[in-house]
Parts: sequence; structure tokens; C-alpha cells
Amino acid sequence: MTELTNVPAQGGEPPKPTEYLRDILRWHFDPATGSPFWLARARTLDFDPLTDITDISDLRRFPDVSDDLRTVPVEDLVPAGLKGRSFEVFESGGTVGAPKRVVDSTARVRNIDWVSTVLAEHGFPERGHWLHVGPTGPHAVGRSVRRLAQLRDGMCFTLDFDPRWVKRLIGSGRTDLAAEYREYLLDQMELIVSTQNITVLFITPPVLEAVCARSGLYERLARSLKGILWAGTSISLETLHQIEETFFPDATVAAIYGNTMMGVAPQRPREEGDAHPCVFRPYVPQSIVELLDPQTGEPVAYGERGQVLVHQMSRDLFLPNLLERDTAIRVRPATGDDVDGLADIAPLRSADAPKVVEGVY
Amino acid sequence: MPDRQPFIGPVIGGRGTESRDRAELAALDGAPLATIGLAPQLLAQAALNRVRASADGSVPPPELFATAGKLFATAELEGETPQEYRRRVVMATGTPAGAITRAIDGIGNSLGMVERLNRAELPAPFEVPGYSTHWVPRGSLLAAVVPNNHPEPNVTWVRSLSMGMSVLVRPGSKDPFTPRRLLAALLAAGLDPDKAAFLPGGHDMGEHLLAQTDLGLVYGGPAAAARYAGRGDVLVRGPGRSKALVGSGAAQDDGLLDDLVRWIADDGGVRCNNISLVLTSGPAEPLAEALAERLAALPVLPVLDERATLPATSRGNAEAMAEYLAELTAEAVDHSSARYGGSPVADPGDGTAVLRPVVVSVNRPDASPAGTELGFPFVVVAPWNQDDGTGPLRESLVVSLPDEHASLAPRVLREPSVRKVVTGRVKPWAGLPETPHDGSLAQFLLEPKGLVTAEAES
Repeated sequence: MTELTNVPAQGGEPPKPTEYLRDILRWHFDPATGSPFWLARARTLDFDPLTDITDISDLRRFPDVSDDLRTVPVEDLVPAGLKGRSFEVFESGGTVGAPKRVVDSTARVRNIDWVSTVLAEHGFPERGHWLHVGPTGPHAVGRSVRRLAQLRDGMCFTLDFDPRWVKRLIGSGRTDLAAEYREYLLDQMELIVSTQNITVLFITPPVLEAVCARSGLYERLARSLKGILWAGTSISLETLHQIEETFFPDATVAAIYGNTMMGVAPQRPREEGDAHPCVFRPYVPQSIVELLDPQTGEPVAYGERGQVLVHQMSRDLFLPNLLERDTAIRVRPATGDDVDGLADIAPLRSADAPKVVEGVY
Repeated sequence: MPDRQPFIGPVIGGRGTESRDRAELAALDGAPLATIGLAPQLLAQAALNRVRASADGSVPPPELFATAGKLFATAELEGETPQEYRRRVVMATGTPAGAITRAIDGIGNSLGMVERLNRAELPAPFEVPGYSTHWVPRGSLLAAVVPNNHPEPNVTWVRSLSMGMSVLVRPGSKDPFTPRRLLAALLAAGLDPDKAAFLPGGHDMGEHLLAQTDLGLVYGGPAAAARYAGRGDVLVRGPGRSKALVGSGAAQDDGLLDDLVRWIADDGGVRCNNISLVLTSGPAEPLAEALAERLAALPVLPVLDERATLPATSRGNAEAMAEYLAELTAEAVDHSSARYGGSPVADPGDGTAVLRPVVVSVNRPDASPAGTELGFPFVVVAPWNQDDGTGPLRESLVVSLPDEHASLAPRVLREPSVRKVVTGRVKPWAGLPETPHDGSLAQFLLEPKGLVTAEAES
């Protein structure tokens, strides 16, 4: 079988999005290569994907199939053209109801391999062990971080970290138990860090904050860490400043933005004149992110906040037109690049109504 | 002419910190009032590490607090005159100007007698040759989560400094002005800069401080009170739910009615010791009617007017409160709203909204909304009879027994959830430094330890 052509060769020019789009549509809507999932849906579309979809903006004509991903048998998602390849299944966070499932053979791996080259541009350490303080199990991020460690000549330590349980605790108001769970994560970290030399830490901001409040664990990590990769929630400007300048001045700090649907967009290296300390750059054309005005549905201008719309396109998986609950600020491409950046990721919010406060305080 | 909009950021090690996290604090009329530099958890952690590192339990001299009290009340601090300070607090919190004027004096006075206040809360020292009892702090670091409603609760964390604690203060979201000004006054009076830090920020940050420090002090509503009720290391100042129990003739007693109006509405009803439930051994409705009539006479004035007695809020909040009130009082008899044409929300003409007093009556002392305390003159009137005993008086910062039920005072004092009793025609907040307002700060912060020396064996 010929190597898939949907990836930029190492160091080569990435394909033009429109050419890439044509190739992906041909693949997924050809009965010889497409998945049962898309071939069945093709019959219900009021347009012809092969002739009517010629531009990225046309992808918005596709229905948002996110909800179907909660129930579809995963074998229906595997393209016929990739039969015999090994596939893995990953699940979304599962905060609201059943999780969404996606399948992947090699596309996400390539995304991560590219992320590793971006981390190199940040000056991330080339070797050393990683500690992944994040979900594993059904969540793609566990495999991604493990691969980053392997690519960078290290082993990856992991914890038992169940984000769904934590969300259930918080959702039902059992914040004391959630705090205890966080301490349990720190206990697991401490057992690793006390005997192993950890060079790079993957972590979410709330857990990193808790690490900084546990002095023994913090001091050990502050001495050994050369890199911190964070993700999962947004972070305030001052919090980032404190991480970089006060708590871990010897580590290179970078972030990734991503999820089960869109893959991983790493923070690009900072440039002179950046208005935002963290600008994320998606893995185009496999993962295309548009930022839309929620009212008009049109792309927002540079410097403005829009709702995240994702098109995930590889031969492994085709997921167009997925509207996320996140918003971001649209940032001009970095020097020498032609892909827009995303900054200041935040959850979609409706305006706050005034709240009545009982009591005099 | 208001001055340039101030920036109020965290103060760590005696110096203002340029936090990158900002929020705009708007006045109740919508005008910008201040830019607030917020301390996220990690900046608070950095401050905490620094304060803890130098928390040695040393006690600043009492003169320092007296000087700071004078500076607080009279000096320009951080470019802010006392007049400008008062304007900012009034326009941010809606507490009437007169109440803030009195609070400024009150804080100055309290800081002038911290030794007397502290001594009043502790037993006389014991010392005989070889044996002595020492009251020492139960920790070195205190987190103080202070409120917006009134400046005077801030005296509590200042007194904690005077007992050897180092303090991390998280101000209320609307009144960062008072604790910042107090800290500026203390620093100007010579306080060791690492004895205290001022950290504006969110609830989560406050909770983090309370988890990380040895002791905590929290002012909050019913939710905060419930949350920290079981924590021996946290002193919670929750809802006041102050009550008066009056005799059957109260509705015809003009003097008593005038007093009740003051106890309900002085300082805008924002004090935790303003009366919010009046129990009567007579019929409830005529008393409620008489109180409603008198309270309705309180003028609607711009809150910056020194004569203003009613607190202000933003127009948006006032509408939300009116809606909430309608729901809250649905089962009660409303004696006030009809006097205002249906809604207690009034327009004082300065871009804010004023909430006029609301009196409702219910037919049982435990019927909703009895026990509800709101940040403006809101009072429930309910019947009480001898058989009810002291039960309906529980959960009160103050119980006032102004007339024929004064003889209940010893029994009411024995109720663990009643913090203070006043009898006769006495303001609920009357007291000497020696009489507790709500327990003993010193006995929360300090504990007695024995020291026995070689002299004991000789």
C-alpha cells in the first residue's frame, strides 16, 4: 500500500488546503475507500460532497455529526480503504452525557510528531523522562504525551487520573472530595518524583497550582524540570507569569490546545509584538479551526473573539463542521506562516444576569 | 471633581504589585471607579510563602496601631484623601455616606485601643513564682476574607496583627478600598512589610488561602457559614439575623416604634446587627403596619448625601432584588410595597437605585421568610407567645428585649447560637470594648499554655 499522501513529508511543504480537501472528500465518499458512517450519511445530504464542496468554507454545509459519535459502532467509522490497519478508539471528556468516540490509526500520531518539532523550536529538552499528570485510559492525550516523551528520548511516567470522576464530584457539589482527589494525584506524583529524575512535566493548571502549594514536591520539581507542557483549561496572564518567572524560572513553559475532535494545536514560539503570550497553531490542513461570530456565523476579524469551529480531516477520520463550546481570539499568522493563530481560549459564555445575594456580606 | 481612576493591586512585601490580571470595578451608577489588579492563586501562593517565611509571632507596638488609625481617618494615603476614600466606598457598595463617615471614626477609635480590646477578651494573667499561664497564638498565619457591606469588620484582621499573627487579606469584590487603605496606614505607621499582604481576587483564591494558612476568618452569607461551620481553624462571621422581641403594646408605643425603625434601618440596614425579625407577643399585623408606615417615611436620597439612610444599588441589581423579594414574600403579608406604588425600587436621581424598606408579616415565628437577612431595611414581623420560649430567638447575633420580655435575658444568653442580648431602649450595636460583639477573637487566635520553671521545685 502506498504511504498516505495527506501529510507533509518531514521538512516538505504542506499540501494546499483545497487540494487536500478534494483528496479527503474523494477518499471518504468513494464506496471503495470511505467509511460505512459517511457512505450512509452521503445519501441523506442535500448536496454532493464531491462536486459541491470545493472550499474550506463549504464544509459548513455538512451536518454536525458530534452527537452521532456518542452511539455509532466504532467499526462503522473505519474507512474501507484502511481495512487491516490497526486502529484505536478514543473518547471525549464525557462531561455531558455519553462520550463521543473517534478512531485513529496514524493521523493523530503525525499530528503529535509535528507538535514535537514545535516543542523543539521552543527549546524543550531533547531528552529526559516525562511525567504525564493528565488523563490516560480512553483519552487521546495520554497516548500523545507518551509519544512526545518517546520521540524525545525519554520514558513517560503516568498516574491514575480520572477526569470524569472529578467532574462528577464537582458537578454534584462535592468539592471537598474533589480537593481530596487532587491531593491523591499529588501523592502519586510524589512517589514518582521522590526517586525518578523528571525533566518534563505535562500538567493541567489547577493541578500545577496545587503542586506549588505542596512545598516538598514543588521544590523537587523546580530543581529537576527543564520543560512544562500544560493544557486542559485556560490560564490567566498573571498565573502564566508566576509559573514562568516565580515558580519555574529554569523550565521552558509551553502549552497545547486540543481535544478529541480537533487534535493538538501547540503554542507557537513567541514573536516580537505578540499581543498574547500563548498563540496556538493548528495542524493544518488535517485540523482546520475557524473562529466564528456566534450571532452571524461569519469568521471574526483579527484580534476578535469567535467561537471555535473545527474541521478534522485525515484519511483516518473526517469530521467537518464541529462547533465547540470554546472561544478564542483570532491572531494573524506568525512570520513566514499562513495559518491563523488562536489565543486566549475561553469557554463560551452567555451574559451574566445580576445575582441576588442573601445576607449583608 | 473625582481624581484619575485609581489602580488597586495586590500589596506584597509592602509594595504594590502590577498584576497582569485586571478587572474593572464600576460604581453603582455604572461609572468606572477603579482598576483592580487581581491575585490569581499562584500570586497569592507566592505572597503566602513570603509572609510565612517571616512570620515570627512578634507583636507590633500598640502605638503603631493608634498611629495607623489616625492616618486611616485623616491622612492622604496612596494618593487617596479620606473624602475620596469615602466616596469610593459609598459608590461601590451603596452603604450610605453617613454610615461610612461613622465607620471611619469607629475604625480610628478601635485602632487606638487595640490593647484594651484584646485584654478584655482574655482572663487576667496568672503568675506565681515558678508557674505562669501564657496566651499564645494557635498558629502564625491568618487568612482574612473580609466583606463589602461595612468597613468596620476590617478591624478584626488588624487586631489579629496586634496579637502576633501575620495576615493575608482577601477584600470583598466591591470594597477593596478599606483594607488597602488600612494596610497603607499600617505600613506608614511602621508595620513590618512582610506582616501582611493584600490580595484582591476570586472566591477560589480566598478558599485556597483558608486551606493554606493556620487560621482563617471569613465573613459570608448562609452558604459560607454552612461551609466553614465545622472548621475549628476558621472563625465564621455569618448572617446576623438579629431579632427583637417586643410586648403586646408595641404597635401603640410611638417611642418604641421610632427606636425599632432606627434599629432596623440605621446605616442603611447593612449592619449584621440591624434587626431583621421582630417577634411580638401581640398581634403581628398592626405592628408590621405601624413599622411599615414609619419606615416608608425614610427619604429616598442620593447615597452620597450625608442625610441618606437608605442604601443604594445598581439599577440591574435592584430589579433582580425586587423580583427575588416578590418570590420570597409570596406567602407573607406585604405591608410596604403598596405604599410605594407596588415596587420598593426607587430612583434617587443619581443613576443608582434605592431599595425602600420592606416590612412583611407572617403568622408563625418560623414561617418563611423569617430569618432572612438582606442588605437593606427588610424586616419580618411574626407572633410569639410564652409557649414558644427562646427557640424562635436562636441563630441571632443580637437579641433585643426592649420592653416586657427583658426578664428573658439570662435564658436567651444561655442559647449557644445567640451572641449578645440587649434589653431596654438600647441600640443592638451598643457596647463597650469590654463587652463581646460576637464571641472572642483573642480566644480564637490564642490558647493558654503553662510555663513551669525551676523556681517551682525550689
